[in-house]
Amino acid sequence: MLSTIALDTQVIKPGLCTGCGACQGMCPYWDSVDGRTICYFDCERRDGRCQRFCPRMPTDLDALRRRFFPEETVLPEIGPFRGLYLTRAADESIRARAQHGGTMTALVELAMREGFIDAAVLTRSRGGLNPEGTLAASPEEVRACGGSSFQVPPTLAVLNRALREDKYHSIGVVGTPCKTLAVYKMKGNPLPDNDNHAGNIGMVFGLFCGWGLDWDGMNALAARHVDPREIGHMDIPPSKYHSLELRTGAETVSVNLDEVTPLVRPGCRACTDMTAEFADLSVGGARSADGWDVDKGWNQLIVRSEKGEALLKIAREKGVLEFRDVPETGLDKLKGASMGKRRNGEKYLAELEK
Amino acid sequence: MTANAPGQVCLMQGNEAIVRGAVEAGINFAASYPGSPSSQVLGMLGKIAGERSFYAEWSTNEVCALEACVGASLAGARALCIVKQNGLLCTADSLHCGAQHGVKGGLVIVTSDDPSAHSSTNEFDSRWQAESASVALLEPTTMQETKDIVPYAFELSERTGQMVIVRLTTRVCHGRGIVKLGELPEKSHPLQKVREWDRLVCVSYLHAPMLERLEALRSEFEDCAYNHYAGPEGAEKLIVAGGTGRLYAQEAMHRLGVEDQAGLLTLGTLWPLPERYILRYLRAAKEVLILEEVDPFLEQHLEALAGKHRLSVAFRGREDGALPKIGELDPDNVSAAIAAFTGTALPEKRAASHLELPQRDMTFCAGCPHRATFHILKRVLRQEKNPGVVIGDIGCYIMSGQFAGQYAFQAVNCMGSGINLAEALGQLTRYGLDQKVVTVCGDSTFFHTIMPGVVNAVYHKANMLLLVLDNSATAMTGFQPHPGTGLTAMGAAAEPMNIQRILEAMGCKVEAADPFDVAETERTVKRLLQEEGMNVLIMRQPCATLTAKKQKKPVRVWVDQDACLGDGCGCDKYCSRVWGCPGNTWDFKNGKAQIDPVTCVGCGVCAKFCPSGAIHVERGEEA
Repeated sequence: MLSTIALDTQVIKPGLCTGCGACQGMCPYWDSVDGRTICYFDCERRDGRCQRFCPRMPTDLDALRRRFFPEETVLPEIGPFRGLYLTRAADESIRARAQHGGTMTALVELAMREGFIDAAVLTRSRGGLNPEGTLAASPEEVRACGGSSFQVPPTLAVLNRALREDKYHSIGVVGTPCKTLAVYKMKGNPLPDNDNHAGNIGMVFGLFCGWGLDWDGMNALAARHVDPREIGHMDIPPSKYHSLELRTGAETVSVNLDEVTPLVRPGCRACTDMTAEFADLSVGGARSADGWDVDKGWNQLIVRSEKGEALLKIAREKGVLEFRDVPETGLDKLKGASMGKRRNGEKYLAELEK
Repeated sequence: MTANAPGQVCLMQGNEAIVRGAVEAGINFAASYPGSPSSQVLGMLGKIAGERSFYAEWSTNEVCALEACVGASLAGARALCIVKQNGLLCTADSLHCGAQHGVKGGLVIVTSDDPSAHSSTNEFDSRWQAESASVALLEPTTMQETKDIVPYAFELSERTGQMVIVRLTTRVCHGRGIVKLGELPEKSHPLQKVREWDRLVCVSYLHAPMLERLEALRSEFEDCAYNHYAGPEGAEKLIVAGGTGRLYAQEAMHRLGVEDQAGLLTLGTLWPLPERYILRYLRAAKEVLILEEVDPFLEQHLEALAGKHRLSVAFRGREDGALPKIGELDPDNVSAAIAAFTGTALPEKRAASHLELPQRDMTFCAGCPHRATFHILKRVLRQEKNPGVVIGDIGCYIMSGQFAGQYAFQAVNCMGSGINLAEALGQLTRYGLDQKVVTVCGDSTFFHTIMPGVVNAVYHKANMLLLVLDNSATAMTGFQPHPGTGLTAMGAAAEPMNIQRILEAMGCKVEAADPFDVAETERTVKRLLQEEGMNVLIMRQPCATLTAKKQKKPVRVWVDQDACLGDGCGCDKYCSRVWGCPGNTWDFKNGKAQIDPVTCVGCGVCAKFCPSGAIHVERGEEA
């Protein structure tokens, strides 16, 4: 089957596309508008990178995991695992614009300063509405990308363009689970004659993710509650709050989650990965007995690879991160949450197959 | 065309024969809107109008043309209107009203039908219009007849006070044959003052006089030189032919050696039918084969005639399946029908070659601005949440319904209809149709019939976007002047009508863009699609064939094959396969793209789309 038709019929039409952008930035055929992946014209290639890189095309996850992670490090519930930490950026100015504790921004900046990576592909959240992928070549540019969004932009299109340009040879990538899986598919180099310089991928930083939202729906929702131009931050507190918070200046507006969940991208309902299992490090919001008021200033950090371990060691030595003790039940709670998402995703997929 | 050399024998095209016939008839007035296969007629008339002291114009549309001819007739002028089949249908109201009020000066309509629709959207048989309007219908076969029939038609029109339609078909218009010239009149036909009590007024009580004129015509046609018979007396097998059918029949009968076995009755006067004349041959016949272009017009009327006279005759033709129901006659299908009709073996057909020709889609010329327009449009509509609707119209850009324009159109009705189809969809966007609506028209079509539709759409605030593809030409039919070009058929300069100002005066929001500036124009189209109401974007870029003529030193476009990805992932022959310009070809030896320097006109748009930046443009100089 032609690649463009394969993706259209197996991913886009069934509603499995996550909008990650892995198929984009390599050719004139694929593009993304307002979070929607579009194909301008059919390509007649039977085996293209677009379909090989897509995280929603069939993938042997075990084989891919075995290629990059020692089997003994893999926990069935959350993937490769070398340690769980509660951390935050030591630098207050990072924390001030961070989603939670600023761990990701601090680590990517550090990775760049320490030569782990020479550039980074990240998402500029723009306060949470209509984010965009960007290529950062300096720690300052990395810092400008602090904060998260619940809309998924096609950040990997930026990665693909950067790889193709071949200017940077160790590019860090920050992304949600769908994106980091796609990046590992790229690293797996499925089409050796046509690798798009996958060797230029330096490090992969995963973000925990519950789901992403439909762009148009999210814009409409925001406009119903606040002036969308004023939004500087949005967040979803632990499930007992059942809300989405929109922050404009000093004011925080709480939106009932029932208004939000219908906007979840269908492609995210099929997702079985909460913690971005394919990554050197994965970062998410902290969950502890101290409650949301404390936790919202901290992150949970999973170290998954040797490289991730090495970076964290430097972060500790140089005082880039601050650490708290992980509660005894922390790992089990994380596993439980991860399995919850996996079960929901598998259930959705099973129904889709019917 | 204007040589006064009676008896001189010339090789002439059918369209030229019409022109010569008109000159010999001393016409005063000619009007037309271009349409294949008779587009050349008025072009030639325009060139000699000054010399022969008559007026010729490319009218804004066919209705203007025929109604102008009616006006000229009121002053006793001999007026010639030239249209194609679709154009004749455009004039239907005027034709029927004119038939009822009759004419003063001779009024002849030459209508050219395009069987098989070689240069049309549809094949259509004009003969029904003559029957419907109750006017005389003539159809010549040879080039000599084609020339001679024009003065005859004028004389007939004046004698009966009725319009006359001369029907041609593509092979007559474009075929060539020997014509013996007639005498040229010293002066054009004399004009007559419009007298106080002259009346060309269509009122209901003129219906009966119109039918009387028809019966007068029938008597006239009972004895007419354009109907003739060849073959044995009292033939039981009778072939009846109109138009091209006669020549194909003569050739086939000669080749099959059946000239003695069947009679060949040729009819040049097709409406009203000379019934007594036809019955002379029909009464003897047991079996009749009818050869005619497009519809079973004669077949049905002859069946009715036989039925009325209780004749037991078997009819063969298009309706009965002896000939294909659609498409034009040709020597092959006529030979096969005559062989079957006479029970003769059909000689085996020897193919000139067994090589199969490659299938080639119709496409825009190299460097055509329409290609860029529709490429942009497809990209923009793909970016919409809901797929948009594109309504086409008639012009070169009709090919956009196919590969050339990325299969752009969901609907194309007749010329000038796009704006109105789109208006309806634009209204329905307020009733739950959540799609962007786009329609297109060319500059010539804009003047032809788009303008009333624009008024309608603006007045009723339809949500839509009209793209006026202004290539400064009536390109499809051969660059005839239109009101936007600043030139008339007789070669005089005129003040060109400004499409943008007309649209602004109608109350449209109008912008202009250059389709070759692909990135900027894509943004403009995208923005206009989001705007409410009736929006117009004029796509300005001259027809590539006009541009090519102006260049002194051609632009050189070339492919750096080291940079070209070819059919590799990341391109897959984007230039030759998707962009699809005939100038972008494929180097099979190297598996890379290349430019055909002969075809390329140097628009340079492919260089803007090349994903590898492998196409380079070296600018030339403009003359």
